[in-house]
Amino acid sequence: MNDFSELENQLRKLRPAQPSAELMTRIERSLAEQTSTSTAGVLPRERRFHFNWISLGLGLAAATALLMFAFIRLHEPAKKTPALSQVTPAPVLSAENSNAQLVPAGLTQVVYHTRDEGLHYTGNSSQPMRRVRSQTRDTLQWRNPKTGATLRISYPREEVSLVPVTGQ
Amino acid sequence: MENVATDENWKICFSQLAPGLVLFARQWARSAADAEDIVQEAFVRFWRKQHDISNRGLLYATVRSIALDFLRRDSRRARRESAAMSGVDQSVEPQFEIEDESQRQLMAALELLPAEQREVLVMKIWNELTFAEIASALEISQNTAASRYRYALAALKKNLPST
Repeated sequence: MNDFSELENQLRKLRPAQPSAELMTRIERSLAEQTSTSTAGVLPRERRFHFNWISLGLGLAAATALLMFAFIRLHEPAKKTPALSQVTPAPVLSAENSNAQLVPAGLTQVVYHTRDEGLHYTGNSSQPMRRVRSQTRDTLQWRNPKTGATLRISYPREEVSLVPVTGQ
Repeated sequence: MENVATDENWKICFSQLAPGLVLFARQWARSAADAEDIVQEAFVRFWRKQHDISNRGLLYATVRSIALDFLRRDSRRARRESAAMSGVDQSVEPQFEIEDESQRQLMAALELLPAEQREVLVMKIWNELTFAEIASALEISQNTAASRYRYALAALKKNLPST
């Protein structure tokens, strides 16, 4: 470091340019704009106040939208629900009444899994039978021609069938 | 500068620190006025937050942070202005009070230093910060700060004609 001591002395002799006299005045003004000691307690409070307004506004808008949505949902299906609620016990009704309201419109059977469980011999017969287990989803559909309302019931079904084996 | 830690009056603190702070800010500013704007913003922010004035590392870090923000904004503005100002001779305000030719050469050599070496030199020589304070302000190790300082002095010595 001794190598540089002369250079350091030369550098220290260089005096930085003095800032303008206005700078002190400007800082004084800036500090006086807020309280003279600390504004740490003031600035965050302003920020919180501003934030509350935004969140309050957003909350109110969301609540209004929810209320409007609920109001529409409550009133719209009210016309259709009575018809459907009467239809529900349809299987108990007589054929005439049920015809007047709901008409069978279709039946769908989808076999989505089949498994061959091999040859089996039943007790009475000496002929072997092949046991096949199939899993199906049945969908029944009714339709009311007057109102256009539809009723659909879907359920899973498992079926085991024995297929006679014929030798050639 | 020794009584900075005990000063309660910002005017006393600031009058002691101002020339060095403005010189420090000049590294990123194109003019003395811009450097003063940076120092004003940094000092007001520092004082309002009631940081301990003896924590000079933090004060210089604040100046540096604001200067870098300013530089980013200013470089965009400079690009827009450069087209209009091209060909016009722009005088550069001196950063030091020059008394003779040797000082002029020293200042010219300073301007040739890499930025990272020059900022350490400015903090050490004209702001009298310790290497620990410099390291804190620049978020580097003390060894790195000391190395940069030595490299800066070596480069200056090499560049000066009659030292």
